[in-house]
Amino acid sequence: MSTQRKPLDQVVIAVLANRLDSIVREMTNTLFRTGRSAILNTAKDFSCSIITADNQLLSSADGLPIHVLGGGRQTQSMQEFHPDLAAGDAFLHNDPYLGNTHTADHTILVPVFVGGLRLFTVAAKAHQADCGNSDPSTYMPFAKDVYQEGGLNFPCVRIQRDYQDVQDIIRMCRRRIRVPEVWYGDYLAALGAARIGERRLKALVDRYGADTIGEFVHEWLDYSERRMKHAIRALPAGRLIAEGRHDTLPGLPDGIPVKVIIEVKPAEGIVEVDLRENIDCVPVGVNLSQTCATAGALIGVLNCIDPGVPRNEGSFRRIRILLRENCVVGIPRFPACTSMATSNVTNRLINATQRAFSMLGDGHGLAEGAASMGAGFGVVSGNDRRHGGAPFVNQLVIGNNGGPGSPVCDGWVTYCMPDAAASVMVDSVEIIEQKYPLLIRSLRLVEDSGGAGRQRGGPAGEITYGPLHDPMTVAYFAEMHEDPPKGTHGGGPGSASAVYKVHRDGREEPIPPIGLVELQPGEFIRGFEAGGGGYGDPLTRDPERVRHDVMEGWVSLAQAKDVYGILLSGARADASLRVDAAATAAQRRLLAQA
Amino acid sequence: MTTASPRTRESRGGYRIGIDTGGTFTDVVVGDSSGILSVGKALTTRERISRGILEGLGVAAAPLGTDAGALLRQTAVFIYGSTRATNAILEGKTARTALLVTHGFPDILVRREGGKTNPWDYTADYPEPYVPRQLTFEVQGRITAEGNELVPLDESGATALLHRLGALHVEAVAVCFLWSIANPDHELAVGRLIERELPGIPYTLSHQVNPIVREYRRASSAAIDASLKPLMQQHLREMESDLRAAGLAGELLPAISLGGVMHIDGVIDRPIHMVRSGPSLAPILGQVIGAAETGATDVIVCDTGGTSFDVSLVRDGRPVFGRDTWLGARYTGHLTGLSSVDARSIGSGGGSIARVDSGGLLCVGPESAGADPGPACYGRGGTHATVTDAALLLGYLDAEYFNGGRMRLDTGAADAAVGRVAAQLGKSAEDTAAGILVVASEHMVAAIKEITINEGVDPRDSLLLAGGGAAGLNIVPIARELACTRVLLPRMAGALSACGAQYTDIVTEFAVSHVTASSHFDYAGVNRLLSGLGISVGAFEQSLRTRGITRFRTDYFVEARYRYQVWELEVPLPDGRIAGPEQLRSVVEAFHRAHESIFAVSEADQEIEFIQWKGRVTGELERPPLTPFSASTAAAPPPDGYGKAYFQSTGPVEIPRYRGAALTPGMRIEGPALIVEPTTTIVLYPGSAATVTPFNNYMVNV
Repeated sequence: MSTQRKPLDQVVIAVLANRLDSIVREMTNTLFRTGRSAILNTAKDFSCSIITADNQLLSSADGLPIHVLGGGRQTQSMQEFHPDLAAGDAFLHNDPYLGNTHTADHTILVPVFVGGLRLFTVAAKAHQADCGNSDPSTYMPFAKDVYQEGGLNFPCVRIQRDYQDVQDIIRMCRRRIRVPEVWYGDYLAALGAARIGERRLKALVDRYGADTIGEFVHEWLDYSERRMKHAIRALPAGRLIAEGRHDTLPGLPDGIPVKVIIEVKPAEGIVEVDLRENIDCVPVGVNLSQTCATAGALIGVLNCIDPGVPRNEGSFRRIRILLRENCVVGIPRFPACTSMATSNVTNRLINATQRAFSMLGDGHGLAEGAASMGAGFGVVSGNDRRHGGAPFVNQLVIGNNGGPGSPVCDGWVTYCMPDAAASVMVDSVEIIEQKYPLLIRSLRLVEDSGGAGRQRGGPAGEITYGPLHDPMTVAYFAEMHEDPPKGTHGGGPGSASAVYKVHRDGREEPIPPIGLVELQPGEFIRGFEAGGGGYGDPLTRDPERVRHDVMEGWVSLAQAKDVYGILLSGARADASLRVDAAATAAQRRLLAQA
Repeated sequence: MTTASPRTRESRGGYRIGIDTGGTFTDVVVGDSSGILSVGKALTTRERISRGILEGLGVAAAPLGTDAGALLRQTAVFIYGSTRATNAILEGKTARTALLVTHGFPDILVRREGGKTNPWDYTADYPEPYVPRQLTFEVQGRITAEGNELVPLDESGATALLHRLGALHVEAVAVCFLWSIANPDHELAVGRLIERELPGIPYTLSHQVNPIVREYRRASSAAIDASLKPLMQQHLREMESDLRAAGLAGELLPAISLGGVMHIDGVIDRPIHMVRSGPSLAPILGQVIGAAETGATDVIVCDTGGTSFDVSLVRDGRPVFGRDTWLGARYTGHLTGLSSVDARSIGSGGGSIARVDSGGLLCVGPESAGADPGPACYGRGGTHATVTDAALLLGYLDAEYFNGGRMRLDTGAADAAVGRVAAQLGKSAEDTAAGILVVASEHMVAAIKEITINEGVDPRDSLLLAGGGAAGLNIVPIARELACTRVLLPRMAGALSACGAQYTDIVTEFAVSHVTASSHFDYAGVNRLLSGLGISVGAFEQSLRTRGITRFRTDYFVEARYRYQVWELEVPLPDGRIAGPEQLRSVVEAFHRAHESIFAVSEADQEIEFIQWKGRVTGELERPPLTPFSASTAAAPPPDGYGKAYFQSTGPVEIPRYRGAALTPGMRIEGPALIVEPTTTIVLYPGSAATVTPFNNYMVNV
């Protein structure tokens, strides 16, 4: 080896960094186009990534934040359990105690060998239609431990050798997963994505040489770390404490408090997040896996950092996350159930972290984002008589949670929820009705649901649907019914979630926000997700934006007047609404004094 | 360049005219079966598009010893490329459009299909929908996925609503009901109501403009199409009648986003096909010339006009297409629902206006002086300093020979305009002018990087091909910035897209939906349908035959997928029918193979669903041939003259000026120098040199 190597050309670094991202996007496209369940081929609830040989996340373009940030721990178990790793291997890993997020996320890991050397691992993680849980749902909020949860566990097992399926594993899945054909198709989609990544990475190494690629990896991670350090140095120093609370659950009348203590240390270029002052694991299905606890805190911090800083293991070196054993927001103690680790408590954690950052002053941090997985994110199941009574299970991703107001913009509309932060797509009504025997009766965004603020929270969505021919079960999880997303710097909270059963006679009956309901044809479930929190005092919102909000139906005339202090003349119906400047000034003075 | 007498044209099938109307210039290229003959350029006349076209035609006709009228009378094919539809959308000048949707679903265009490019970015507001919520209206009525009517259409409610639209001064209406593709009755009924209640108001029904499943894509197609109708229908009809009046007898074929051309009646019916069609012609030229000149199969094609700078790619010998066409950014723009050439477009060109912002920073574009008033040096009343004014001041343009000598540039006006910017900056006029070019180049470099480096393509691995009237002004520093060692500028560089039009074909697709599966294949139904497609294809071929087109290629395809999938793959049907189990088996195997090759996996025992059957007709238009010249060993002739120029690396220098017409294959010109072509000027910066290639183009080593 020559010792006098020229440092890598900046253009080569930029090209390679983008090339890795484009390989990940091609993997993503493969999984999206070939997946069988709607949650994959329409909602895109999956993520692809490239991880270095020494288990550092390198690229995760287009991925869901919660999916990708913990990838390195999974490849570590691959290395540990399989000293005979070889080209042609693929592993199925869904063990939340070994680095996976939760049981419903099946991860396919493929080690990438070039010239006998393992240089990368490619990962494709996909939320399954069904994972063999004891209920027909990929979330088990009330399971007291993993045994009651009941999902099939694969602690990083070999599912392909020499590019051929290991039939024992395939058979296990086909026997215990409720929709075996769909599962196998989805497995192939994830495997195909990983194999595409493998092919492209091999071609890349052939083109540039293993030495250049190795050097690039090193430089890129260091560069990313420098960028993060620089970004943290621009923040004010501070010790920030924020608390949130997950709604009540059976046996937990006070809900689950979530406490975040953050030290921002610009001098060292470090942010430290301490999650150790949280309660012990709880006997329900919402404990976080270690990966989700880490990722949740990271997401909260990253949401408040210059979006141009690359998100990889290099930049993560500047963020320290302190966890403890047997903690609901930390390292779970077996057999605690982590079935809902990616969403509920994680979303409270992300919200508390990003809101804590807003305590650095106006201009920092975010309000809280909505995170209800109610009717609009329900897991539907039953039998489809259009296909000879074939069973179906699938989580809908069609509801609407409003994004948080930020220092400079309103909440995102198709936000999904904090852990996915708009990376997940939205189901098509037609695709859902084509694939599953149900009818969606309405799907609309709700007026006045976004938290008021100088920057308004994103709106909640309403949805109503039910079975067409035969009974259908819906498992749903409308967290944020009791404690809707908070605003910050004077911004108001978003609207709370709610769920109703609509009887045949049209009567609407409120039902528990988290539960499982069986619907007969003619009956419907109707749900409201939550609105995002506002940022800043609504009395300082630009009057023209309030007028536009009223014209577009985001804000009612009453809220414009009572909360924003804006008085409008003219009418919405003929587009003649105008801000009455004098009346508005008076009203704003009045409200400010109140 | 060869010129033949016009009389011989008719026997060979006539001329082929390619037009490209940009925001500033209208380019005209005339060709025939012996090669490309002539090029012309004129200012775009927005208020009546045919004026600029006829003027440009006159320019191109003169060297052929004829005039625009005679040229048009002997023209077989007239191809019209235009940025009009795209610009109307980008500038918000489309019709005030209402959208009618199924009751309960008012937010289809607001939510799109979700997604966000950077989940960590909380600095941008959520984008507005294509049709605002205040102009989106719900209509009672519901069709199910199986095409059954669950709730009847509320005709009286719809009628009352249409009256309201009239009062709201709505100029166009789009209709998208759930499952109209399974049962179009409700959309058709509302279409009839619109004709009755709002006569003369154009409308688009979603199942007709884009019969695909997925309500967002269909609604977006319908909304975009309807919003373009008032403007584009008037535009196209007026242009057609003007050209017919001027003598055009041949086919008038607008370029479409699919990369081919379509008959004008089809485009009048569906103006959405012209959206993003502007950049679709340039890569066709890149493909043809790149292959001929260097054998390059990867080409970066840059087109610098007066108003915009477009970059597109040729990879593996084919223009790069996007399956999903976004107007604006992915996820946050608007999907047209149709596929198109993948191109990046920024507001940067010869007409881009330079100004000093409130922070004292020099900015260039995206505002453009357009054609009217145009840059200050055009002497049409423009006072803003533009890139063209800066180039003139730097001595990069020949004031006496702009656009082949048809326009004299006003040096004094350019000096004054740039001088005003210089005074604000407190710099010399030369340094300011050079700065304007640097800033403009920077934007262009960023656009090229976005489509190459950001997609993981190293620009150094591709051939850089540059064209457009203003390309030569700064392509050398752009290439240097990208570390490309050479740039190809076609001789007709000034009219890149109009040149590309010389090499397109007529492409039309016929499609029928019919769902069947491999395990219980409906042979009778499918073959009946394929015969029906064959009849449509035959009739279309016949109509082209009567117009003198004799060579056709018809390809049949089926869009297929594995059971439970929702996205299809296109599989060819080599026989155009599936007679029996044997042919079915070969189609099934072809699907498995395609799936394996694109997605790395296949599922041999899984059922395959066949969704849509297509017949694609390509009417091959006669192309001007490309034949190499033998390189002469002659040295370049003496320059036509000398002029003062200013480069940042040298300061003021005296440089030679060559007329392109005097340069023949094999000749080499060293920079600093200018090569002046009728429609473009190539600035050879110090250290660069140009060689005339065997195909009579310029290869510039930077």
